[in-house]
Amino acid sequence: MRCGFRRLLFATILLFISSSLYSQPNLDKKITLQLNDVTLAQVLAQLSVKSGVQFSYNPKKIDANRTVSFQVTEKTTSEILAYLAERFELNYSFVEGQVILKPAKRVEIQVTQVVTLSGYIKDAATGEALIGATIYIKSLNAGVASNTSGFYSLTIPLGDYELATSFIGYKAATKQIGLQTSILENILLSEDTPVLKEVVVTASNDDAMAEAQLNKTTVRPHTVEARPALFGEADVLKSLENIPGFKLHSDGSTFYYVRGGQRDQNLLLIDDSPIYNPSHMLGIFSTVIPDAVTDISIYKGDMPASLGGRLSSVLDIHTKKGNDQHTQVWGNVGFISTKLGVEGPITKNKSSFLLSGRFSRLKWLFQQADASINKFGFHDLTGKINFKLNAKNRVFFSFYSGSDNYFSGNNGINWQNNAATFRWNHILTERLFLNTTLSASAYEYSLFTDVANQVRWNSRIANANLKADFSYFINPANEFDFGVSLNGYNFNPGNLQQGNSNIPISNVSMRNVVEGVLYANHKIVLTKKWSFNTGLRLSSWTNTGEAFEFVFDVNHKPVDTLYFTQGQAYHTYVKAEPRVTIQYLIDTQSSVKASYARNTQNVHLISNSISPFTSLDVWLPSSINIKPQLADQASLGYYRSLSGNHISLAVEVFYKQMYNQIDYETHAENFLNPTFESELRFGKARAYGIEWLLKKEEGRLRGLVGYSYARAKRTFADLNDGKSFNAFSDRPHQANIMLSYNLTSKWEVGINWNYLTGAPFSSPVSFYSFNGLEVPLYGQKNNDRLPNYHRLDTSATLKLNKRSESNYQHSLTFSIYNLYGRKNAVFINYNKNQLGDRDFKIPSNLLVSERTVSQIFLFQFTPAISYIFKWK
Amino acid sequence: MKTKILIFVIVVCAACEERIDAPLQIRNTNLVVVEGVLTNENKAHSIKLTLPYQTINGQAAAASGATVKIYEGTLNNYPLIETPVGSGEYHTPPFSAVFGSIYTLLIQYQGNQYLAQDSSIPVEPLSTLDYQKVNDRYKLVFNASGDLANYIDYSIYWQTTPECLPANPCEGRLVFYDLKTIDVNEIFKPAKEDFSFPVNSVVIRKKYSVSPAYRAFLRSVLSETEWRGGLFDVDRANATTNLSAGAVGFFAVTTVLTDTTAIVEKP
Repeated sequence: MRCGFRRLLFATILLFISSSLYSQPNLDKKITLQLNDVTLAQVLAQLSVKSGVQFSYNPKKIDANRTVSFQVTEKTTSEILAYLAERFELNYSFVEGQVILKPAKRVEIQVTQVVTLSGYIKDAATGEALIGATIYIKSLNAGVASNTSGFYSLTIPLGDYELATSFIGYKAATKQIGLQTSILENILLSEDTPVLKEVVVTASNDDAMAEAQLNKTTVRPHTVEARPALFGEADVLKSLENIPGFKLHSDGSTFYYVRGGQRDQNLLLIDDSPIYNPSHMLGIFSTVIPDAVTDISIYKGDMPASLGGRLSSVLDIHTKKGNDQHTQVWGNVGFISTKLGVEGPITKNKSSFLLSGRFSRLKWLFQQADASINKFGFHDLTGKINFKLNAKNRVFFSFYSGSDNYFSGNNGINWQNNAATFRWNHILTERLFLNTTLSASAYEYSLFTDVANQVRWNSRIANANLKADFSYFINPANEFDFGVSLNGYNFNPGNLQQGNSNIPISNVSMRNVVEGVLYANHKIVLTKKWSFNTGLRLSSWTNTGEAFEFVFDVNHKPVDTLYFTQGQAYHTYVKAEPRVTIQYLIDTQSSVKASYARNTQNVHLISNSISPFTSLDVWLPSSINIKPQLADQASLGYYRSLSGNHISLAVEVFYKQMYNQIDYETHAENFLNPTFESELRFGKARAYGIEWLLKKEEGRLRGLVGYSYARAKRTFADLNDGKSFNAFSDRPHQANIMLSYNLTSKWEVGINWNYLTGAPFSSPVSFYSFNGLEVPLYGQKNNDRLPNYHRLDTSATLKLNKRSESNYQHSLTFSIYNLYGRKNAVFINYNKNQLGDRDFKIPSNLLVSERTVSQIFLFQFTPAISYIFKWK
Repeated sequence: MKTKILIFVIVVCAACEERIDAPLQIRNTNLVVVEGVLTNENKAHSIKLTLPYQTINGQAAAASGATVKIYEGTLNNYPLIETPVGSGEYHTPPFSAVFGSIYTLLIQYQGNQYLAQDSSIPVEPLSTLDYQKVNDRYKLVFNASGDLANYIDYSIYWQTTPECLPANPCEGRLVFYDLKTIDVNEIFKPAKEDFSFPVNSVVIRKKYSVSPAYRAFLRSVLSETEWRGGLFDVDRANATTNLSAGAVGFFAVTTVLTDTTAIVEKP
């Protein structure tokens, strides 16, 4: 394609030289023309009227009746003539005040003429943009994938082509197209509706071969819905356990660990807004349900340069924009919650809306047991509205609000996530796409100790973001993404508040940060075999007042306090994050990829809890006492399509080194402690492993089989005598099988089996007695492991419709979580008395000692039934 | 802040606990365990030296034959005598640990020397004993009081009541810790056994003041004992100590208040 640039430049120079050989009239007059769907003859006539230049040409040699669009703004006549000549393959000369037009010589046409085919790839039924769909021209062996807005752009030579467009779960479409000029062409794909329509965790085989983004996985929302789930509550985060490299903390938890990382090293984005605590009911359910989601992209550390801010993974979720063709209503009634959604056009093909909600139905149940319960439940609310302003401009506004409230008597807990995003998609040129985003997100946690007087412990992290993302589709082999972002953060690491005032009555310093980000990412296909994806992300992280920070000595004792006034910038970190991926296509069925990525993280979850449940966690920024966390990850992957692309195999090895990792002084006191930073300890971590994933995406039997072997170690000078110890996520063996099978056109069954080596923990090596208490003594940190984790889930879905084309679609799903009732330990305790069957308590009377070893486990055999409906 | 939040119910309803046979990765340590609390009571104070044990509910072996001394500032020192010999319990001559003095414990045992220091802070008054009637028996009600960290040791006796059967011990000892800390694992600590006693029982309370170092030690001990086993456990780690390397436990100096209450009939 660089060759194409040279040709274009050469042709332009030729045109300039050739035109300058003739005497010319005054061509400096500036003209504006905005002509759509007119003939070339009409263009020339308009130009004559506005410029005074007369045109002469042979209609037998120049097809002046062809329909064209022609737009120029404030251009001189000479500029317009040059553009006209280039655009319509003409040569021109001046003869006696007239412009003589002739067809350009053939060789010049070949050299200069490239056109751009661009537009959106959308779902034909709903108008939903399809992210990552591919458009491909076989004769040129050229293709691109649609970006996160569904936009694509192909710059290719003039000619007649067969376009092949595909997206997993949709019918592939081919179309003959004659390209004489650059055009905007939206492509509609229809969902593949046969019985065997659904696919599993995907990155389509062809796409995976072509996509130079190692470690990316895409999960279809339908896949999540089809997976057996606890209480029938389909859950995006829980489904991550099926992806090798993702390790969930335990049952009942939304915490997950990726390639040896910590749980705060995973970024969850919903429409570009971060969600800091995606849990309901302490983590039994996540906030991310598939109902209103259109795309789930997962990166295991090798994210594009446009994404960053976490060391280990990005979960990038895009919500549906709403059906712009017709209104539809859908919902789900289960034991725990009711979901309801509605979407439809505001103006058909131009604007649409979506509103989706989930509301728990537990309050009445628990009120039977305790009448003092006045709030008990959670909800999610997602909304989106979008407008197509014209062919080149679209705007979107979306929001998410999720909240948990558990109040009894005068006490209670509340936490909430709120996020809102405004996006403007603008096609600057056929090849240059701009996505401008203004977003805000906040997570707030409150523990009320006196509801009547609003006495509460409160923590918060909030951020606002303005960014511009440009996608420049230079040509099919050359795509350049770049952008700029400005973020503002506000942190409340936990303070006491009273009444309606937000002014804290405790004294833990608030923190504020301004962050600037610049990034660029260049995908280039060098040859048929080799391609590169290189990126660089630059971030500047500046702490600003009003705040105060402590200075600690080598013994972690505070020796000074620094006060900063409002708006005062007092500490800055600038970090560069290079990323590169190299892909080699062995043949059409297999490829090898290697990548390196550096990631930086400036927001840190401060918690020394080992609980699987969310528990009054607080977030802190990088600052004087906390350096940014860094990670270097190198990966090597082999990908192969088998059995006519119906089965794919991916094998990846990785090595990851992490710096400035955070751990804690023993029994750290980080709750309402102004000097909590003195409790932090810093060290490094490393992880390595190999991951296999076998996928079958079509046919009656679909599913995936995964296995990984990975290790994760941490080393801190101040902990464990400076010796390396197993990280919590060091669970070497991970295996999972997820299968679904269409028994008949009405019945679909599925199973899901997961296995993980037990999580490391510290078990006592001996005990001593103090004041009647039996105090454990520990040896090496994380010297022991919980029993291995495994679990089998199953589901069966019965479609209740007699006719598949019915407007009202409904089904019943029966599911069993933990079919064989495995007691997967969450904790092991050494300090309780057994009083009866499954009744364990801490001894009160210190004169009697009958302690025993016990384990806490959560969900055993848990059946559920849910009713799902959709009306369209 | 210290409150039971009903959110427990959410998870408890799904959580189960059962006894398991999980062998410990036992390891011998060369540690000496020190348990000593000096008070403002004019009496013979004791320092207990033991060795760690390797089984739950195990019996600690005495660390016998040590040389133990307590220094009161730079003026006085009190040699301790192991009585009975072999018990690991070392006793001072009668004296009262006074507010404002720094006390230093010196232990020489099997060629090693261990040191610890502490000083007392005042204790706030005891509030009225609170108890309630439950099914014709009585239970203590524990309430935080005052502004300073403390703990109250309750010794309960009912040997002289008709409810005391010969086979039963008819006594109990409970400790209520009020460290004035805010910890998630304490807020959501596991349930404790009920402990009840009959009317006419005698409750002797001792309220101990807690120095900052002692408070840190007790907090870490409780994190590993009474506060462990809930749903928000913190990372496991050894309790802190004020003893020099090679020893665990704590040498504390406190101020004590005590009272005695006879449990009377309540409606």
